[in-house]
Amino acid sequence: MTLLYLALGTLFGFVLSRAGAADYDYIQGMFLFERFQLYGILATGVAVTAPGLWLLKKYGRTLTGAPLAIDRKSLNKGTVAGSLLFGIGWSLTGMCPGPILVNIGEGKVYAIAALAGALVGAALFGAAYDALQKPFGLPALKVTARGAAGH
Amino acid sequence: MPLILHGLTPIHWAVAGASIALITLTLLAVANRRLGVSSGLEDLCSLVIDQPFYRRTAVTSGRPWRLPFLAGLVVGGFLSAALGGGWSPTWALGMLDRAAGLGHGAKLAWMFVGGVFTGFGTRLANGCTSGHGIFGNSNFEIPSLVASCCFMAAGIVTTQVIYRVVF
Repeated sequence: MTLLYLALGTLFGFVLSRAGAADYDYIQGMFLFERFQLYGILATGVAVTAPGLWLLKKYGRTLTGAPLAIDRKSLNKGTVAGSLLFGIGWSLTGMCPGPILVNIGEGKVYAIAALAGALVGAALFGAAYDALQKPFGLPALKVTARGAAGH
Repeated sequence: MPLILHGLTPIHWAVAGASIALITLTLLAVANRRLGVSSGLEDLCSLVIDQPFYRRTAVTSGRPWRLPFLAGLVVGGFLSAALGGGWSPTWALGMLDRAAGLGHGAKLAWMFVGGVFTGFGTRLANGCTSGHGIFGNSNFEIPSLVASCCFMAAGIVTTQVIYRVVF
């Protein structure tokens, strides 16, 4: 399975690279309303995934026969505040999390700094979780939960 | 408009969107996993940081697919460059180069600051463009719709301020 995940990631990375989704100028062009490309990608991605997802859920099983397990995300103040912060980061770097790695692969040296920043940001969040949990209404940590699916 | 990478012409958005959808559906149909990249940041952190937050089942149970998937993203970018004109390290940054002409150190600082926003923000929001934007919206999850509106709005405001006000 590891090879399958590697292959899927490779295909995803290649597509993001060649579609402009990992391109600083195309990201700015989207936010400036000058380029439709990224809106088209997101809209098509959702428009094709949604019916496929509906069919899969109706079938209720994976191709190996396991019951389909989809962890739904919760809504809290962190959803709003975090996404606003992420939007700022996406604009500044011209990369969302996947394309940070894609840009590193492409050889864009500065993307390594973006990854370092993202890891520091994630680590800061982990360190501050106890303090943030109540004010943002975040879910309690489940260190020993069912191991069915990540989030 | 050509890509920064070798001035290549990008593939059509419909082809790119459909490809991403097929990858998302394959990951779920075969491996029972919902697409999501930013949770992989936690996975990387968990390799070196020993805190309860990084010992969550949600982190540890996803590692077998997330780490190879993340590695694939790097490989995909590498192949894209290598097959599209050759791989070589570059500092090219398109419009930011034309607008600000930053040196290497300033670019690294700029990217690091932006990265901190992205890393902290996506973890607080529990998702990014993939987990909320593609998967969550396709699954009609309200939190993902809220998240998508927020990160798009913040991106629009930030870029508009940078390129229509500052530069």
